[in-house]
Amino acid sequence: MNVVVCVKQIPDPAAPQSLEPSTNTLDRSGKLILDDSDAYGVEMALQLVDKAGSGEVTLVSMAPNGEVAGLRTALAMGAAKAILVSDDALKGTDALGTAKVLAAAIKRTEFDLVLAATESSDGYTGTVPVQIAELLGLPSITFAKSVTIDGSTVKVDRQTEAGYDEVTAPLPAVVTVTAGVVEPRYPSFKGIMAAKSKPVDQVTAADLGFSAGDVGAAGSGQTIFAVADAEARSAGEIVVDEGDGAQRIVSFLEGLKVI
Amino acid sequence: MRFSFTEEQLVLRDTVTAVLADWCTPGDLHELYANDAPDAGRSHPRWNALFNLGITALHIPEVDGGLGLDDRELIAISEAAGRVALPEPLSETAGVVVPILVASGAGHHALEPFLDGGGAATLGGVTFTPSGPRIASVADGHRVRTSGITQATASHHLLAVSSASGPELHLAVTADGDLTRTTSLDRTRRLGTLTWTPTDATRLATGPLAATLLDQAVNRAALYSAAELLGLCDAMITLTAVYVSERKQFGVPVGSFQAVKHHLAGARVKLEFARPAVYAAAWSLATEHPSATHDISLAKSLASDAADEAARVSLQCHGAIGYTFEHDLHLLMKRAWALSAAWGDARSHRARLLNLLQAERSVLPS
Repeated sequence: MNVVVCVKQIPDPAAPQSLEPSTNTLDRSGKLILDDSDAYGVEMALQLVDKAGSGEVTLVSMAPNGEVAGLRTALAMGAAKAILVSDDALKGTDALGTAKVLAAAIKRTEFDLVLAATESSDGYTGTVPVQIAELLGLPSITFAKSVTIDGSTVKVDRQTEAGYDEVTAPLPAVVTVTAGVVEPRYPSFKGIMAAKSKPVDQVTAADLGFSAGDVGAAGSGQTIFAVADAEARSAGEIVVDEGDGAQRIVSFLEGLKVI
Repeated sequence: MRFSFTEEQLVLRDTVTAVLADWCTPGDLHELYANDAPDAGRSHPRWNALFNLGITALHIPEVDGGLGLDDRELIAISEAAGRVALPEPLSETAGVVVPILVASGAGHHALEPFLDGGGAATLGGVTFTPSGPRIASVADGHRVRTSGITQATASHHLLAVSSASGPELHLAVTADGDLTRTTSLDRTRRLGTLTWTPTDATRLATGPLAATLLDQAVNRAALYSAAELLGLCDAMITLTAVYVSERKQFGVPVGSFQAVKHHLAGARVKLEFARPAVYAAAWSLATEHPSATHDISLAKSLASDAADEAARVSLQCHGAIGYTFEHDLHLLMKRAWALSAAWGDARSHRARLLNLLQAERSVLPS
């Protein structure tokens, strides 16, 4: 079984971030790391391939400046190879453009399943995986909290507000996984050393058949006009317990739909 | 001499740092202090998380199933372990015992526990003196009582005894002997006394080979104590800097007063002077440079001095809160005190350095 995992390399969330003043987009010129939320997809893929007994995990990523630091982390966990799309022409690409690029890159390899995180930790659109599915003409299932393969079918427990739905789809399919799906492994020292020599196929937008205007800022359907600070959080509500404390807590939690 | 770290060495270190962040928090250490039963074992999940990375196999050659790496990789990892006062014999196993087993020519059977058996080991039965290792116990065909073993609950111990034919080095399995715990200042180092029987099966080396290996083992123990001290120093200074930035007096943070910030700056300077000396010593050891012994004594004396200073200044700048059992400072400080004195304190390493300089002027690094 061959699994493709879409991974994003993002600026370290622990480091201070800045926006590029001319475009109001995130400055990605520094060192990039593997998005934490993608580690779950990589781990899930490794476990599925392990269980199937054959096949391999391929990473697909789009990043500026030929960045591979984040890919090396996922390769160290056990992925076999990576396809990296890196091209100055891709600067300013929106979510749909990213999906087009990743879908074209995915087509370069054999696959039975495509995994992705539900959303990235720096962009948060959460739309790219389903757009990829549409572009590839494949079924998609989102918010998986468990993924199993049964013959030529993928079975997913799909997280919902009230619990979970059991959803199945024929393979190949695109599935997005939540942080609860599996516990990512730490890359072992052997894995880290082996990752150096694993193949990373670096391609440009032109290699994938895109011309100027298809992708990048020119092909983007969005423009960021202004950026404003988020509103400061308001102080919480203080409730004095007059014998109804427990009830107030329960109704508050019910309001949040957590119980 | 070029001893700056490669990208890969830093990735290995950062991986260990990430594992330690999950498995060795101040809360974990406070819990160890709170539940200090005499027979308290080590945390197997924590050890396994570190072991599964392959750290203990780092020094084992690739042909034997190891990673074929050396002290240039491990030194930064030990520093990271020191930073969180890791209560596991990681440096002792990977930096002291395993390299000695490899150097002794011990076969696969001896290395196996450290390849995939979850084995942990420390060095015992020997102390550092400026004129050479001193062996505490005599093997006379009977059971030997070896006291002062750190991380005594480790699965294996590399133990020295002296016999009629000279020094002997043994790899003893803790479970085959009788272990009694000793009260210690830093309870997370788990001092103990092992009563064990030296046999042909435990013996690794005798005579001149044992003497050479013992020299190397003590040098290694000193170097890796120095590496952990760097991390401890850094952690103490950082903890204190954060505290004095928050604690206010006369309406301003106490850290804004020169009397406080100069203390911390002085400690930081000592640490930054010790750090390259420790890295350089690891490089010398890994490359078998003739100045290795000299470099290790320089490293340990500077690191012990830096740690003593950082501990003293941190305690003083924290004021009364630093003396409390509930505060994190003592977790770091007690380990720093213990390691500062372990395997030769600053004074005895300076004494050895003087001996070496007088005797071997020609091997100073160029």
